[in-house]
Amino acid sequence: MTGSPGAGSPADPAALAPVIRAEGVGKRFRRVAPGARLRTLKSALVDRNLTRGLAPEEAIVALDGVSFAVGAGEAFGVIGGNGSGKSTLLKIVAGILQPSAGTVAVAGRVAALIELGAGFHPEISGRENVYINGAVLGLSRREVDRRLESIIEFSGLADFIEEPVKHYSSGMYVRLGFAVAVHTDPDVLLVDEVLAVGDEAFSHRCLRRIEELLAAGKTLLFVSHALDTVEGLCDRVLWLDGGRPRHLGEPRRVVDAYRQAVAEEEGQVHREEKEQREEAAAADAGEGGRRWGSREAEVTAVRLLAGLGEGEERYRIESGERVTIELTVRAARPLADFVFGVAVATPRGVECWGTNTDLAGYRPGRLAGEVRVRVVCPALRLAAGDYRLDVAVHGREGAPYDYRSGVLGFTVASRTRGVGVYLPEHRWEFSGGVEWTSTPSSEAPRA
Amino acid sequence: MLRTAVQLFRFRGLLATLTARELKARYRGSVLGFFWSLVNPLLLLAVYSFVFGLVFRRPVGGDSEPYAVFLITGLFPWIWASTSILEGTMSLITNAGLLRKAVFPAEVLPVVAVAANLAHFLLALPIVAVALVAGRALGHPVGGWPALLLPVVIALQLPMVAGLALGLAALNVHFKDVRDLLANLLTLLFFIAPIIYPLSAVTIRPLVWLIRANPFTPFVLAYQQTLFAGAVPGPWLWAQMAAVAALSWAGGAWLFARLRDTLVEAV
Repeated sequence: MTGSPGAGSPADPAALAPVIRAEGVGKRFRRVAPGARLRTLKSALVDRNLTRGLAPEEAIVALDGVSFAVGAGEAFGVIGGNGSGKSTLLKIVAGILQPSAGTVAVAGRVAALIELGAGFHPEISGRENVYINGAVLGLSRREVDRRLESIIEFSGLADFIEEPVKHYSSGMYVRLGFAVAVHTDPDVLLVDEVLAVGDEAFSHRCLRRIEELLAAGKTLLFVSHALDTVEGLCDRVLWLDGGRPRHLGEPRRVVDAYRQAVAEEEGQVHREEKEQREEAAAADAGEGGRRWGSREAEVTAVRLLAGLGEGEERYRIESGERVTIELTVRAARPLADFVFGVAVATPRGVECWGTNTDLAGYRPGRLAGEVRVRVVCPALRLAAGDYRLDVAVHGREGAPYDYRSGVLGFTVASRTRGVGVYLPEHRWEFSGGVEWTSTPSSEAPRA
Repeated sequence: MLRTAVQLFRFRGLLATLTARELKARYRGSVLGFFWSLVNPLLLLAVYSFVFGLVFRRPVGGDSEPYAVFLITGLFPWIWASTSILEGTMSLITNAGLLRKAVFPAEVLPVVAVAANLAHFLLALPIVAVALVAGRALGHPVGGWPALLLPVVIALQLPMVAGLALGLAALNVHFKDVRDLLANLLTLLFFIAPIIYPLSAVTIRPLVWLIRANPFTPFVLAYQQTLFAGAVPGPWLWAQMAAVAALSWAGGAWLFARLRDTLVEAV
């Protein structure tokens, strides 16, 4: 294995009793060229061969030479960028895909949490869907009978279990799916990002359950972008880069190395972006800036308003003043997945403050037509200086609809001077023994 | 071939659950429930009865009397077979999510379509019974104890239909025109099977050979003999059915097994 400082580290539980063993696993996908899918039976019959041409001609290498062994009770993490082959690897271990090279052996019952609620039918009740999902995951009817109560309790959906699943929110759907999946009594748990779907509380509950299973000696293969979770949960981590193993070892070291590499890669992009921003800022006093996204929803106007939104448009505000940021957003078609975000940065790109509706706890329902979105700040306590406003509408997974960086420039003035970007309300107090030749005119300088 | 059968037996619980899902989902949320599934066959029955029973005034010979009862005994099994094959062919595409995201025995899906439609067919059998009783009441010598052989005929047609559904479903994942070709082919096979006319009414020799070459013909004849004519099919007919069933199953299961490993990626 290339560059794997952790391989063969002192406590290598895999050496004892490998539950998952992958040796030189490779996977090639047939490239789906435009038109290739349009191959018809007619043409195949004319060529007099039904199965020829199904062999990979132009292949994409998704995995190449991946070897590792996971011991019983071990939590093994897999990280890497998009398209690095993480999910492919998981599917091969699960047995959904066949490797094109190498071998994978898994001992014991496998539960693959790749999609929660597989086989759910929207028209029928949650209870009946538990049986269907259970059957898909390999449980017999009797086994589901025995676990049903526990599943419903874990999902927290006792009140809705007779409702058709189509009336469930996506969070409820995932909760029921996870509840069934963890009740399949697996020896090996394969988890792919699914925990990112539910709400915070449920994610924690899922993680706790996974920890319980680990404590009970189950084995975990965990694929995730949530590096902190990987670091906290896993005993060893494999970093895949373009389908090849780049590092395997102790979580902290691998995650740090990965972060470092990502930062270096992004550094170049950031530097270019910053230059562009500064150019743009110089060109027209902070207005303009960069814009990207699919435009499924568009930010058509951004205004900074005095007061609660009823005031006039402002480009210069007093620190601590009550201001409202107003976005006018137009959705080209109704969207069910959307997040509004605003951020304030200095012209040099130092992020001062940012938030979005997702962070604030709003779960999207529907966005249609032209709408106004306001962020009301009873007191915007920025330090004196120039700032720019970034606004965005994007999907919860980050898919950009419309990102407008530096869409608006504004200046904050203050009677109080300070350095940095934040100006909290404050005052100075001194005990006896401190004397001044001159003091500010007001007793307690207001922010 | 055998492996596919073994797999299906192994996953019979899943097969039953998914079939129940299909049936529940179809009957849920509609006032008339499963009666809707009878509307289509009854409508077809009404149309053909009208056209051939009244408009053309029995052009088809004496041994198809009463015509509506004759028609129903061939038509209902045909609807089961053709709908099963069409839905089975589409089943892998329809359930692509399951194949891609779960460890799932793909062979179950086409068979679920066959089983769900078999359930519809069985639920429609009371209508056939009513038709036979009504025919008797009107003084026609239809039906009789050979109707008890119906389960055997169905059991022989089951591997035929399932085999075709399996093979075509696997092909359909790779070739997008299978469905269209199939829909047209089935229409053609419907008319060259003695369903809306009795075989005895066909007098042109080459046409008889063509009809006899239709793999569905032995089954249609067997349904008509056991249900309508009240006769026990001869050994030659049983042999034909068995041969068609064995060939279809073997061919379909072989093709499915051949393409099995490519399905998840291509679907």
